[in-house]
Amino acid sequence: MVIPNAETEAALIAKAQNGNRNAYGELVRHHHPGVIKVIYRMCGDVELAQDAAQDAFIRAWLHLPTFRPGTSLRNWLYRIAINASLDVLRRDTKTADTDFESLSMPDPQAGPEAALLQKERTVAVQQAILALTEASRSVLVLREYGGLTYHEIAVALDIPLGTVMSRLNYARHQLKQSLQPYFIQMEIENG
Amino acid sequence: MANHVTEWLGAYHDGELRGARLRQIEGHLAECATCQAELDGIRNLSALLQDTASNRDFLLTERFVANLALSMPRGSKLPQPRNVLNIGWWLIPVGLLGIWLFINITLSLSSVVTLAADTGLLGGNLAWLQGNPLQMKWIATVMNLFGNQLGALGRETLSALNDANLFIVQLAGRLIPQAILAVSYLGWLLSWWLRHQPQPSQSVGSFSQS
Repeated sequence: MVIPNAETEAALIAKAQNGNRNAYGELVRHHHPGVIKVIYRMCGDVELAQDAAQDAFIRAWLHLPTFRPGTSLRNWLYRIAINASLDVLRRDTKTADTDFESLSMPDPQAGPEAALLQKERTVAVQQAILALTEASRSVLVLREYGGLTYHEIAVALDIPLGTVMSRLNYARHQLKQSLQPYFIQMEIENG
Repeated sequence: MANHVTEWLGAYHDGELRGARLRQIEGHLAECATCQAELDGIRNLSALLQDTASNRDFLLTERFVANLALSMPRGSKLPQPRNVLNIGWWLIPVGLLGIWLFINITLSLSSVVTLAADTGLLGGNLAWLQGNPLQMKWIATVMNLFGNQLGALGRETLSALNDANLFIVQLAGRLIPQAILAVSYLGWLLSWWLRHQPQPSQSVGSFSQS
């Protein structure tokens, strides 16, 4: 589902704010892929991510009247998604371990050894992200997987721009340290 | 090379720098191998994060929307608490205007009635309003203590001072409430203006230079 332009989205938002469930469904169709990606990176678990995504979209529906027209719905949804992820993680005491077995084969063209390495790398990355503090993880996920600018992250998380930069620097520093072996592996693979 | 710019490299990599800061970082990177290596590290990390982008099997969007529709609370129209806030917001200037009108009408009526009583236009009906001439406390005290020793000139001087003092007190009594109302109204206008300002798109570089 593609929403052609911002004006159409604004019209859908206005309808949804008046209780039109179909209009809200269209908005969910458009934003679900981005939201689930951000939530999964925050939770690191498929089931938790599905729960958090549902929770996030229900919260968004309930609070839609407070959404300010003219601002970015995507950023607003990401903010709700981050909070829903953190709530789900706190509620569910189960550690969000990255399940190695449930990963799908990354590249069918690659050989079994390369595929295994790729899986191992994927798990390592997800575990490294989960090891970050919630504050740093939120900023990193919104930047790397949500594609938000620093200003958008600052608005979404209601933090100063300088804090966005310092948390991102911290997160990247931590990830570089914990993922060092995989950089070498990538360099070897890429020749 | 000293003065490394490592704290800006992430923002540089993300395309968040502008103007003088961008030129500074570019210039530094051209000469500093340490910072260039640090930047390569950030690029490699970003590539690794994207390379391992999620390949999990999530619910298809259509199925997710269908499931969500079943879980969403019913109701033809959602409650709109903002409407109440908005009405309250717009009632502020109306209330201030109402208070201003009330004060001015009361003061004007008071002046007209006092004038009518002083000039005797209303006969004896408002004789209770006339009474003794208004006096400040300090002049009453001075008159009590030194009234007999003061000559006619001294008493007239004191009387003039008393009138001037009364005038200032009455003027202040009228102006201060109106000044408070005017400041409140200007504050509301400023707040309204700030709320309707478009959010400027900032870059890390631009804010850092201030």
